Amino acid sequence: MNRSDLYSLTPLLILSSAAILNFFSISIKRNHKVIFAITVLSLIGDFIFLTSYSLYHQQHIDPLLVVDGFGIFNIGLILLTTLVVALMSYAYFEQREERKEEYYILLILAALGACIMVISKHFVSFFLGLEVLSVSLYSLIAYLRTRERSDEAGIKYLILAAFSSAFLLFGMSLIYATTGKMDFGGIGYYLTTTQDIPLIMMAGLGMLIVGAGFKLGVVPFHMWTPDVYEGAPTPVTAFIATVSKGGMIALLVRFFNAINGYQYESFTNLFTVLSIASMFVGNILALRQTNLKRILAYSSISHIGYLLVAFLSGGSMGAQATTFYLVAYFITTLGAFGIIATLSDQHRDAELIDDYRGLLWRRPLTAVAFSAMLLSLAGIPLTAGFIAKFYVITAGIGTQHWLLVFCLVVNSVIGLYYYIKIIAVMFDQKLQIKSAKELHPLVYVISSVTIAVLAVFLFWLGVSPEGMLSLIDDVI
Amino acid sequence: MTLNLFYFLSFLAVLSALMVVFSKNPVYSVLYLIITFFTIAGHYILLDAQFLAVVHVIVYAGAIMVLFLYVIMLLNLNRESEPHKSNILKFAAVICAGLLLVVLVGSLKGTEAIVQQSGKAGIGYVKTLGEVMFKEFLLPFEITSILLLAAMVGAVMLGKSEKTNDTI
Repeated sequence: MNRSDLYSLTPLLILSSAAILNFFSISIKRNHKVIFAITVLSLIGDFIFLTSYSLYHQQHIDPLLVVDGFGIFNIGLILLTTLVVALMSYAYFEQREERKEEYYILLILAALGACIMVISKHFVSFFLGLEVLSVSLYSLIAYLRTRERSDEAGIKYLILAAFSSAFLLFGMSLIYATTGKMDFGGIGYYLTTTQDIPLIMMAGLGMLIVGAGFKLGVVPFHMWTPDVYEGAPTPVTAFIATVSKGGMIALLVRFFNAINGYQYESFTNLFTVLSIASMFVGNILALRQTNLKRILAYSSISHIGYLLVAFLSGGSMGAQATTFYLVAYFITTLGAFGIIATLSDQHRDAELIDDYRGLLWRRPLTAVAFSAMLLSLAGIPLTAGFIAKFYVITAGIGTQHWLLVFCLVVNSVIGLYYYIKIIAVMFDQKLQIKSAKELHPLVYVISSVTIAVLAVFLFWLGVSPEGMLSLIDDVI
Repeated sequence: MTLNLFYFLSFLAVLSALMVVFSKNPVYSVLYLIITFFTIAGHYILLDAQFLAVVHVIVYAGAIMVLFLYVIMLLNLNRESEPHKSNILKFAAVICAGLLLVVLVGSLKGTEAIVQQSGKAGIGYVKTLGEVMFKEFLLPFEITSILLLAAMVGAVMLGKSEKTNDTI
């Protein structure tokens, strides 16, 4: 490990130092404000440091990691997402009586795990990053212990994530048994020397996809998603929906480019089935839900299905569409969950649709921002979601995946129904009397500003996506 | 000498494994299981895998057995409280175990060729492992420490009772 290696790893070092700094600060005195400040400042500092890299930076830290443009971009995305989650957590946890400090440590560690995952090019670092992320998430999901469903969600995630990790490990060991390699490049090289994929390796790759599918929540492996989304504290739900899934997608893109998996028909067929099933099941199950967090959970299942369309297109166009879709999806999901978090009170989250009845007349600005987020999820023009979906369809048509594109369009129409339904409820005139104990208004300023910034980004990406597109173009 | 030792250890391992199954008292079963683990650790040493032997003793004979004993103690298992097992259950268990045996034998039959070639000298020594771990794989080693840290923070946070909160 030399100096330039260390320079490339500094973002990870900053994150781990921030966690340790938080430890010391807790051991001296428990203070929510101080911990929050440390967390936010270190995330911002880390991001500023990250911008000092050139986009064409390429540093191989053999045999495990590669810090390249794609990795740096994804780390930046993860850091900003974590920052937003931390910002919306402050008001959410300030009104609760439980201990709040450890939350930030676990949040930072989870982000660290995701960062390791997106820059790994070796099974060892991939698995370790994934485990750091999952182990932190177990406790984050069950964080509000006094709440009714948090234990259930935590245990469900623990068991299923452990189960999927076992699948991943078994898949990795089967691949290792055939190729003798654990780095992505070595596996790719092995595949170029053989005509067909050996059966054992096929089984290994299949298990790898099962493990990854669990984390992504694509359809046969989606059972945990609604329950965990519902039971976890809202900021944590936002984190799972964005960082945890996005990190896995970024890793899959890297892995499939390294082994050139797009040339094998069995894999493209497999992903096609997964994608179509995710789109339909996610959207159709969302139609009858009355719980907003569950609706967003099912909508996230279908969004991963859309993402797989871009992923399947392969090549640089596919990678671009995937990355852009991720950015748009991150912004939108964070905004939507951020609004749920701000409307939540001390005892429960604002998760029922009835909580939003007449929101427009009570809190017009929040309602407008929420409508914008929902419209972006549905893919209405002028929002980031539209441009993202546009690129996905372009990528799909470019590679002649007509079936996938057709399903995507049909599902967008189905999805529109339940997004519009929520908006319609917000416009409902019937006023509800709500007497929640309000916190000092300053606390809400942080959340409101965060949501406002997210909304601005949403429209900015929707109106002029050129800047983001050229950035993505550069890093891929 | 080594061959005699191998036979002795194998005999002991099989015998104690059988005793695990046949003894009526669950505590005796657990104690026999400890003997089994030790004999398997002995096999590892015979195969020049010292690190594996030590880890095996620490993890299995140490940590996991204590867990077993605790569970038995908490459940208060003894001969009287043992539920009666029906014949169908026994039959099913025999078939399952027999199938597992077939799978294991089938998968191990082809491995002889692989075992022959992977005999790098001293691959199981603690020193060799340490050199790989602290040179080539230093970074994942550190990441593992972060993994354990996250698990520890989570466990302490979830396990701590709410009431002691104010005194800290």
